[in-house]
Amino acid sequence: MYTTDTIAAVATGSGRAGVGIIRISGPAVPDIARQITGKTLTARHAHHLPFVDDAGQTLDEGLAIRFDAPNSYTGEAVLELQGHGGPVVLDMVLQRVLACGARPARPGEFTERAFLNDRMDLAQAEAVADLIDASSQAAAQAAIRSLDGEFSQAVNAISEELMTLRAWLEAALDFSEEEIDFLSDPVFKQRVRELLEAFDSVFERATQGSRLTDGLTVVIAGVANVGKSSLLNALSGTDRAIVTDIAGTTRDVLHEHITLDGIPLHLMDTAGIRLTDDVVEQHGIDRAEQALASADHVLILVDASQPVLPETHRLAKLNAPSTLLINKMDAVESSVKSALQDTAERFKEATGAQEVLFLSIKADEGLDALRDHLIQTAGRDTAVEGVFSARRRHLDALQRSREAADAALNRLNQGDMPELAAEELRLARSALDEVTGRFDTEDLLGKVFGQFCIGK
Amino acid sequence: MEFPTHFDVIVVGGGHAGTEAALASARTGASTLLLTHNIETLGQMSCNPAIGGIGKGHLVKEIDALGGAMGKAADAAGIHFRTLNSRKGPAVRATRAQADRSLYRSAIRQILENQPNLTLFQQPVDDLIVEGDEVRGAITQLGVKFRAHAVVLTVGTFLAGKIHVGDANSAAGRAGDPPAATLAARMRELPLEVGRLKTGTPPRIDARTIDYTHLQPQPGDSPRPVFSYLGSVDQHPQQVHCHITHTSERTHDIIRAALHRSPLFSGEIEGVGPRYCPSIEDKVVRFADKTSHQIFIEPEGLTTHEIYPNGISTSLPFDVQINYVQSIKGFENAHITRPGYAIEYDYFDPRGLSASLETKPLKRLFFAGQINGTTGYEEAAAQGLIAGLNAARQVQGLEPWTPRRDEAYIGVLIDDLITRGTREPYRMFTSRAEYRLMLREDNADMRLTAKGRELGLVDDHRWAAFQAKSLAVDELGKALKALVIHPGQPEFKAVEEATGLSLSRERHASDLLKMPEVRLNELLPMIAPELAGFDASVIEQVEIQGKYAGYLDRQQADVERARAQQSVRLPVDFDYNSVSGLSNEITQKLLEHKPETLGQAARISGVTPAAVSLLAIYLKKTALPESA
Repeated sequence: MYTTDTIAAVATGSGRAGVGIIRISGPAVPDIARQITGKTLTARHAHHLPFVDDAGQTLDEGLAIRFDAPNSYTGEAVLELQGHGGPVVLDMVLQRVLACGARPARPGEFTERAFLNDRMDLAQAEAVADLIDASSQAAAQAAIRSLDGEFSQAVNAISEELMTLRAWLEAALDFSEEEIDFLSDPVFKQRVRELLEAFDSVFERATQGSRLTDGLTVVIAGVANVGKSSLLNALSGTDRAIVTDIAGTTRDVLHEHITLDGIPLHLMDTAGIRLTDDVVEQHGIDRAEQALASADHVLILVDASQPVLPETHRLAKLNAPSTLLINKMDAVESSVKSALQDTAERFKEATGAQEVLFLSIKADEGLDALRDHLIQTAGRDTAVEGVFSARRRHLDALQRSREAADAALNRLNQGDMPELAAEELRLARSALDEVTGRFDTEDLLGKVFGQFCIGK
Repeated sequence: MEFPTHFDVIVVGGGHAGTEAALASARTGASTLLLTHNIETLGQMSCNPAIGGIGKGHLVKEIDALGGAMGKAADAAGIHFRTLNSRKGPAVRATRAQADRSLYRSAIRQILENQPNLTLFQQPVDDLIVEGDEVRGAITQLGVKFRAHAVVLTVGTFLAGKIHVGDANSAAGRAGDPPAATLAARMRELPLEVGRLKTGTPPRIDARTIDYTHLQPQPGDSPRPVFSYLGSVDQHPQQVHCHITHTSERTHDIIRAALHRSPLFSGEIEGVGPRYCPSIEDKVVRFADKTSHQIFIEPEGLTTHEIYPNGISTSLPFDVQINYVQSIKGFENAHITRPGYAIEYDYFDPRGLSASLETKPLKRLFFAGQINGTTGYEEAAAQGLIAGLNAARQVQGLEPWTPRRDEAYIGVLIDDLITRGTREPYRMFTSRAEYRLMLREDNADMRLTAKGRELGLVDDHRWAAFQAKSLAVDELGKALKALVIHPGQPEFKAVEEATGLSLSRERHASDLLKMPEVRLNELLPMIAPELAGFDASVIEQVEIQGKYAGYLDRQQADVERARAQQSVRLPVDFDYNSVSGLSNEITQKLLEHKPETLGQAARISGVTPAAVSLLAIYLKKTALPESA
């Protein structure tokens, strides 16, 4: 519990509303409650009464609810004053609370205190922020699941298994004379394999969730001068990218955040992929390839009026799902269009693109269909059961953890240096701890001694 | 009376901690007095007759790298040497020797008696001379006052020691020795947190009454390992075999039927015993489904028939001991020469110590060994060396030195003790070291000898030997880096044939080294015969650096990242109450422990990473105005 100060803030949104809530947390809560309500409040009871100033004049009236530590949101004593939602009246009550000894809370400070007081772990604390920021129903549901600790539980279950496996391994290393050698036990390796599968499942659910919170990363790619920058500008409604008909204009990766139907999208425009002697442009192309590696979805843009260049086929070797966009349809004779349809289908097959769309950015044709398609693409992911709200940070940590667990299995198969497998399991667990912010050094040896009869 | 000579440092106790403490203090040039209740038992192995083991062998090598005595004495007394984990990687390989008890004692006594600046005196110590909050000497049973600038207490299990055999119990320091009762009573008056721990020994057996015909012999290893970096197998005495036998269902039945007579289960023993070294009655109860437990039959020495049956320590009554011992294969007619017993003793919460092993409430008083809650000769010796060194350094007006967790197991040991404390006798395991891959037996000298030289612990002879090895390791490492073999070269073909691998393209020697099939001592004659003449220890060192390459780099990077934060100092009088956001509970813990650095704070149990971040931010904020 905090010994130092008490914080207060308006918990509801700005603007006029029927109800406005002021939340106060900290050791001064009982005192503030007495001053403002003139009563000693019973914990967890809604009291309907006037909120008064220091002269006893009524500022507002409403419900006052007191929570005692540690059974509150922050783990400290908390007071909620639910009054009327006008900005002026709320401000008057807030000023009164501050005069009674609270200070204004920084953004997120209530949740921070909840984290510090072990009321929630880091993943849950972040889920609160996600829930508040949730821009779609799917995102909100995912955030609630994380807030409930489902994500943390899934991560903790993996963490627990990593710990168990390492305890087995450590027992074999530190007590080699004790007739407990798991290194040759097939069950041990089997459990590592099952653990890798558990990783994959959590990773998939978290990946979907991260798209809901951080947004789907959509990379626009293609050979030079097919209209990638125009597409970025058209989707974002800005003139962010410089558009010329000179191939190789875009030299760096440009970023735009847009929201389609409440779903955040992170758009990236890349340099056109082509062979070039220009050092700067080559640099841009390298970056484009990096951007492609991080994409959740790739829009492959081709020029309907030009033959498909071999560089476009290079894009076919992508990991991320893609959509093929045939641009500049306005420049194509209508007689050619049906032939194009045929080529597009073949191209789609060759690249593994999920769909082909025809459009003309210049003539603003087919852009709405593209927007719908993007919403659907993001929406398809949200249909997966049990998506967690998660962040890039979580995915990165999960990925590193899985890689280490995988390396542990390889080391075990190699057989000569099992201590390196133990080291990989240690790294795997410490990467996972970054997700929940739980770094408790659990008694590894306790686990060993609890399970095995050790000692001469 | 007051003894006419005043000393820089007094060490109380002549066990493994005491001897290393006295030797380390004297090596740095401090005039040192070793007070023991009995000069005949200097270097006594009170428990099993073995030195080293996994984690423990690591400590012995570190003590040796810092000029200590334990490795040398083990080489002089070892009658059965093994490398444990020899089929696993270098970080977990460990040396262990069965030692002849009397040879070990004489080796230690010889080293002590020949150490310049060191004086021995036989008298039990009853009290300390305390002036204000400083310790200024010790008073013996005869009332002789010895004055000194610092005192190191290494009293083992002697503080209020109590021995249990069934329901019979008696006050003792160990079987055959009186306890330090007066000193214990005096110590309990000091502002130090006291607790009780327990350890046990098995009944000893006359080997002439054991039937070895059906027991499994366990010979020592060949090639035979050596403990000291300066040692050689030529120093080893005659070598003997150990044997292995097992308890039976009948053994367990006998024990189960007598549990009510065990002081462990009757509540008579209040001290906490080690989980990794349970008594046989503990094993039978906790692992009831195990039908058999392993027993190592360890010879006590070359000139005695007594053996130490490792694995059946007990505090059961003597008649039960006879029954269960005789239910074990090979022991059917065994004669017990000494009953097994459990011993309880006082220890002080090591969280009351600084990293130098000086107590926080009393200045100039240092603790080492079982008094700090550890078990094991090696753990005791390691602390003794650091306590003796730092007592001397304090007298000399120098900063204390303790290795960090990434430098030595000694650092892990002391850091664990002073930040986490212990509730059971603390023993070293390799899994306690997060930088295990860096902290190996083979490189303890590379990690510590140069530092030891700087501290005045390492003599010219050891220093010269180390420098020669260190140069050779550098030289071979560099030569290897430049070495590439190409397809078509005869060397290339030779390597392919020897390993059975198809290499297909040019290979750096360092890449070849990473393959599990490749050993450097076999590779060198094939690809660079001119380098094959290096000493085996040099080739081993370079090979290990190659095999662990990526992992060592990663651990090193971790160390550096952590060190930045670890080493941020926290003032002893730091006002934790002024850090906003720290919970009451954590503030209490920090006030109790008074961590010296942010790193130590982070390792205190219950201190969350969030709290450590708050401290770091606070320190940064409060430091800012000065620089801004």
